[in-house]
Amino acid sequence: MALTLTCPVCGKRNGYEFRYGGEDKGPKPDGFGLTPDAWCEYVHMNRCVAGIQKEWWCHKDGCGVWFTTHRDTLKNLEVEASS
Amino acid sequence: MLDRHKPLWGKPPQLKKSYDAVIIGGGLHGLATAYFLARHHGMQNIAILEKRYIGFGGAGRNTAIVRANQRTQANVPLYKEALDLWPVLTKELDYNLMFFNCGNLNLLHSEAAVSAARMAIASAQFQGVESHLIDAKTCKEMMPALNIAEDITYPIFGAMYHPPGGIVRHDAVVWGLAKGAAKYGCHIHQQTEVTGINVENGKVVSVDTDRGTLNTPRVLLSAGGYSAAISYHMLGIKLPISVLNIQAMVTQPLKPILNHVISSGAYHAYANQTLKGEIATGAHMDAWPNYTTQTTAYYIRHQAQAITEMLPCLKGVKFMRHWSGLADMTPDMAPIMDGNNLIEGYFMNCGWGYFGFKSCTATGKYMAQFMATGECPDILKPFHLGRYAQHRLMGETAALVTYTADN
Ligand SMILES: Cc1cc2nc3c(=O)[nH]c(=O)nc-3n(C[C@H](O)[C@H](O)[C@H](O)COP(=O)(O)OP(=O)(O)OC[C@H]3O[C@@H](n4cnc5c(N)ncnc54)[C@H](O)[C@@H]3O)c2cc1C
Ligand SMILES: [Zn+2]
Repeated sequence: MALTLTCPVCGKRNGYEFRYGGEDKGPKPDGFGLTPDAWCEYVHMNRCVAGIQKEWWCHKDGCGVWFTTHRDTLKNLEVEASS
Repeated sequence: MLDRHKPLWGKPPQLKKSYDAVIIGGGLHGLATAYFLARHHGMQNIAILEKRYIGFGGAGRNTAIVRANQRTQANVPLYKEALDLWPVLTKELDYNLMFFNCGNLNLLHSEAAVSAARMAIASAQFQGVESHLIDAKTCKEMMPALNIAEDITYPIFGAMYHPPGGIVRHDAVVWGLAKGAAKYGCHIHQQTEVTGINVENGKVVSVDTDRGTLNTPRVLLSAGGYSAAISYHMLGIKLPISVLNIQAMVTQPLKPILNHVISSGAYHAYANQTLKGEIATGAHMDAWPNYTTQTTAYYIRHQAQAITEMLPCLKGVKFMRHWSGLADMTPDMAPIMDGNNLIEGYFMNCGWGYFGFKSCTATGKYMAQFMATGECPDILKPFHLGRYAQHRLMGETAALVTYTADN
């Protein structure tokens, strides 16, 4: 089954209109005193969750907005925010 | 009739309480490492633990393309040795791996692509790997079915021709390596899932499975697309990996028309003709993580369009099968091979993306050396996990995290 995602502006659309923007890793770390390890952790490292994760998407072929949503990586389906 | 034939790797062995090394994943890299540990290093008390059946992962799903014309100086020698090992292993394992060195044509569709290819060709030639630039007319002479018209979406300017590459039968590699490892006494335990890795005082001590706990001082993580999740969930170690699905399909069998492997970054497609006559073609990946191995109709259309523009004679030919597998992609399109680093006795070999078939022979050999001696062989040193924090990414791809199609 193909992926659909809910854009906060345009509503539910075909997943191929969107660009994946990575796992949600919280706010960008403060540059002051930032170590290479901490920066690497933020930029490159992933949890690769097999289950529900919060992640970034951009409605690339639509309105262009960036947003976060939850998706089950074992089913490739968008889900309601996990409790 | 069927039950008269026991598997090449013998009857299922008894699960022992302890092993000198435990290998997680009965895929290409796990089986190859076990084989070389036993054959070259005399370590025969080894368990390969496979949660499903050997070859369940990328090992049995890849499109079987092998080549050594990688981009960077650290990568080329490893892939060259891997390529050179196919005929050697065919003899050593006494099993026909069906290496068909038909050569690879990487199609170039712009002046910029031709310049980039010149660089890759120079790197390959410097390392003793045969690779040439050829023009569109020569491509057509070599492969009459190819469309070199100027009015197609991406006209062909030329190709990077790599004569020693080709295809190998992937199932035969799984079965042959399993046969070889079992012959030297390694235990292959299928239907055995690793559920935990236990560490005491910074050292690996045992592995939990759904059939009990096994004591061992050495563990190799070689679970393909599942490695990153295992690493984080079992040890809390995050890896710079995104697990995407890559899809492939085959057509009905045809008479020989494709006498080389062709690939095209612009069309996002590659194709080869198997020895059975099917055109095997792939490359599409949905650019977001998922573990489903689902296939998509979107891709059947994409593949039909791309392939019939390059090879118009395939119009009307039917696809027979379509499947998907996991590809564990790193930001520099190069694997992570490391060990004895964060935890003593813990080794990892993952992040192969869609390059892990062509490389498995050489990495099995060197990972075995690493695990047996505890010393990282020079050829593997550049692939350590620490390179990401040092900002020494390998540049196997021209731009960061673009999942390009040249297999
Ligand atoms: C469609 C497709 C096309 C490809 N084409 C090519 C190509 O043309 N050329 C090329 O070089 N590469 C190609 N690849 C990539 C190649 O197949 C992989 O890189 C390679 O299989 C990786 O080998 P591996 O041994 O690391 O993992 P795998 O072969 O995936 O084996 C890992 C094994 O680990 C097992 N496992 C997972 N979790 C556990 C656990 N908890 N306990 C026990 N066992 C576990 C899995 O069941 C699996 O059998 C392709 C991949 C795909 C999917
Ligand atoms: Zn939108």
